[in-house]
Amino acid sequence: MKKRSKKQSGGKGFWGEVAKEFKKNKGAIIGLIIFGIIIFAAIAAMFILDYKTQITKLNLSEALRPVSSKHIFGTDQFGRDIFLRILYGAHYSLLIGVCAVVISTLIGSILGILAGYFGGITETLIMRLMDIISPIPSVLLAICIASAFGQSLYSLMLAVGVISVPSFARVARAGVMTVRDQEYIEAAKSQGASEFQIIVEHVIPNSLPPILVQATMRVASAIISASSLSFLGLGVPAPQPEWGGMLSEGRNFLGTNTNMTLFPGIAIMITVLCINLIGDGVRDAMDPRLKR
Amino acid sequence: MHRYVFKRILLLIPIMLAVSFVVYFIVDLAPGDDIDAIYGNELTAEQKDELREELGYNDPLVIRYARYMGKLLTGDMGTSSFYHEPVMKLYFSKFPATLNLAFWGIIVALLIAIPLGIIAAVHQNTLIDSASMILGLLGMSMPNFWFGLMLIILFSLTLGWLPSFGNESWTSVILPAVTVGVGQAALLIRTTRSSMLEVIRQDYLRTVRAKGVNERTVIYHHALRNALIPIITAAGTQLGIALGGSVVVESVFAWPGVGKLTIDAFNTRDTTLVVGCLILTTAFSSILMMLIDIIYAFVDPRIKARYMN
Repeated sequence: MKKRSKKQSGGKGFWGEVAKEFKKNKGAIIGLIIFGIIIFAAIAAMFILDYKTQITKLNLSEALRPVSSKHIFGTDQFGRDIFLRILYGAHYSLLIGVCAVVISTLIGSILGILAGYFGGITETLIMRLMDIISPIPSVLLAICIASAFGQSLYSLMLAVGVISVPSFARVARAGVMTVRDQEYIEAAKSQGASEFQIIVEHVIPNSLPPILVQATMRVASAIISASSLSFLGLGVPAPQPEWGGMLSEGRNFLGTNTNMTLFPGIAIMITVLCINLIGDGVRDAMDPRLKR
Repeated sequence: MHRYVFKRILLLIPIMLAVSFVVYFIVDLAPGDDIDAIYGNELTAEQKDELREELGYNDPLVIRYARYMGKLLTGDMGTSSFYHEPVMKLYFSKFPATLNLAFWGIIVALLIAIPLGIIAAVHQNTLIDSASMILGLLGMSMPNFWFGLMLIILFSLTLGWLPSFGNESWTSVILPAVTVGVGQAALLIRTTRSSMLEVIRQDYLRTVRAKGVNERTVIYHHALRNALIPIITAAGTQLGIALGGSVVVESVFAWPGVGKLTIDAFNTRDTTLVVGCLILTTAFSSILMMLIDIIYAFVDPRIKARYMN
């Protein structure tokens, strides 16, 4: 109800307020700018670089070269340029992070909204199911799912997505429960709106902010989880230059060539840091009470 | 209060039953089984199929699960096809190492997070506050296995001070514990800071200050003690996660714990061992979480009051 009244009096609406608050947050803006550059570079790399000749082609005479003007991050054990591989590999991490979160947001929110809105037996069934999935340590659960569906980009997305379904379901359910008993829902009901209409028009928009905050934060942890699984050998198959997989290769050359381990890790860290900064900004902007 | 404790313990049984079924089901989806792991190329595909039929591998999932659970109730979780040893025995021979790592990890985390969190809260909205928050964010943003690799490069390969793998001497635990601890500290700094900020604003602290108690005593004696409950709860949760989630760190440092046992079992298609490890690890982290809830209930008078009558 609060959000509605803001819309009428403020003129800019809830989302205008959020954007205004977000712009005040310097860290979040810096994060957003760098993240924008990363996305641009990831897309550009896919068009400019040639996968066969520049990313995966073996060039053993140039193997394990140190940092130089020709190879600014050096080369790996097959003589492939580490910088170009990181650049080309950016889209895997971003894609996995975003798709995994889309999977968990969709499944989790639908379950949570159904549980919160209908209550009773629906709620018990759904939330008990979540109680069963959540105590399984998430890395182990992800390993199970990834190995069940074979080594591929899609099974990695699914594995990383499933592990955060319970927390989305809980957030969505909590959000719905606060709006469920509001008067405007009752008003809509008395006007003959169907359950589906009420959920789509009133319940979802009003329980969206906490879900969105959760989603932004989860992209960051999804990228880290995915790189862990790749590191354990359950991710995108070689020779595709996925960052976690590159780290796992670099591990065999720790003593001779640190570049292979150093740079992909820094790439993951910067990307995840930007998303965390944006996530903090979104959270503070959507719920100013949390900001201190 | 006893009712609350009793209820929490009882709740664990159906959850663990359901968890074991989910685990059994997901592991069953994966290609390859014990027969493949044991006989590999020794037997032809037909012979392996015959053996499966004979040993009941082709029975419906529910029946196999019931048989498994029946044996589990007598304390038998099957035999690993790779090590040729009982799963229980294998697991418990590796468990102390994991517990050891989780314990030292959380100690490192608390040693980093509590001082930084307090400093950040006391100097709220200053440079020190921002610096420790950024440090926390950095810690949260890096994959901890990568941090572990960096520690190996620096302290084992370059300086030669500490061992990089295994668990031979007492120094072996340092690098893995710092790796686990730094990751957890990143989250705990935030908890400590917000919990301290909440307490610092309370009236009773103003009263203590008004009585002329010096600032150090106010912060470390009065404020920290009251802010500690959420910090300990968060640390306990982190400990539970470390018990099950140190798979990656254990694999980086070849730490002989249950995480490494689990991932090795996956790689050798040792299905019986995989299922056993997953069920036991989940059971231990659930029991730990339950203990934290119970302790929390004893410490927090609000929860206690709800169950008094």
